[in-house]
Amino acid sequence: MSNNKKIGIVLGLMCMALTMGICIQIRTVQNYSVKIGQNYDQNNLRAEVLKYKEKYENKIEKIENIDKILENKIEQATTENKNLEESLNQIKEKNKLIGLTETTGPGVKIKLADSKLDSSAALDPNLLVVHDIDVFYVVNELKNAGAEAISVNDQRIVPTTAIECGGNIITINGEKIGSPFVIKAIGLPENLANLDRTGGYLEAMRDSSIIVELKKDNNITIPKYSGIINYKYVKNAK
Amino acid sequence: MVGISILVGCLLGAIIGINAPTISYTYSKYLAIAVVAALDSVFGGISSLMNKKFDIKIFISGFFGNAILAILLTILGQKLNVDIYLAAIIVFVWRMFMNLGTIRRYYVEKWTENFKNKKEQKETKNKKTSQG
Repeated sequence: MSNNKKIGIVLGLMCMALTMGICIQIRTVQNYSVKIGQNYDQNNLRAEVLKYKEKYENKIEKIENIDKILENKIEQATTENKNLEESLNQIKEKNKLIGLTETTGPGVKIKLADSKLDSSAALDPNLLVVHDIDVFYVVNELKNAGAEAISVNDQRIVPTTAIECGGNIITINGEKIGSPFVIKAIGLPENLANLDRTGGYLEAMRDSSIIVELKKDNNITIPKYSGIINYKYVKNAK
Repeated sequence: MVGISILVGCLLGAIIGINAPTISYTYSKYLAIAVVAALDSVFGGISSLMNKKFDIKIFISGFFGNAILAILLTILGQKLNVDIYLAAIIVFVWRMFMNLGTIRRYYVEKWTENFKNKKEQKETKNKKTSQG
């Protein structure tokens, strides 16, 4: 009897490990599979791309860790020296201005998404998708309304940012992003919410059946710009 | 007893597997081959249970040994640019079918015997009632 029990427990444990493995494997494959035709070459290519993506993400993680270490070192070095502390505060202030720090504050969230209407039924299918121009226009209007920090799908808008069309996606700061676009802006929420006025650009977009949502929020977090701002040609005029 | 423990084990495993974090795509190939190896071991264990030749030590060592060997073979195959894992899969699946065959035979024989016994009992009963 005890032998039978032992056998049962061992078999049960093995079955548990087995089903666990199967479930994890299924979810992993589901995570990575894309709805395209499958043949050997494509599978290999996809595996290669995913490998590079993984490496890229690992590198970014490393960079973030190094950034943290650098910040810690700077803080350690400046805790005792008053002069240095002042300059550190200045650096922080300037970083805030050009978008190199994560910022929070009141503002609005605007969501733009492609229309759900069938494009074959539309007279002009171009009107049903969000274009780079639309995002550009909204960002410009937000700046006009006094927004102090803006991000599109967590890409911070800084002075060197370009918003370009890249086929069925748009690129911001060189990063590809797609619909839905979530534009976050920090500023006086009442002012920023005026973008949704009658006859405004958001209304025009809504009229062409693009999904537009504007929400005021007292607690918006905007990530920092992750690239490097490197001016080669600009010099201070004396 | 054994059947219930297998069921409970499968359920627990599924629940843990659904909630566990996914692994990276690079290693999913190895997990897949390990899963096939483990599947083969479990079927082998059940079929040996039917033949009353079950040995826990052999079962556990086979479970882990086969899985690890299969993973190592896959890695070696990748280094040599030969798909050795295909051979491993063929062997495992072939053995799985063999084991499934013994399990099936065992149950089919059991059921046919049960059926026969019942029929005989009925016939003897019928005879008795007709005689009485």
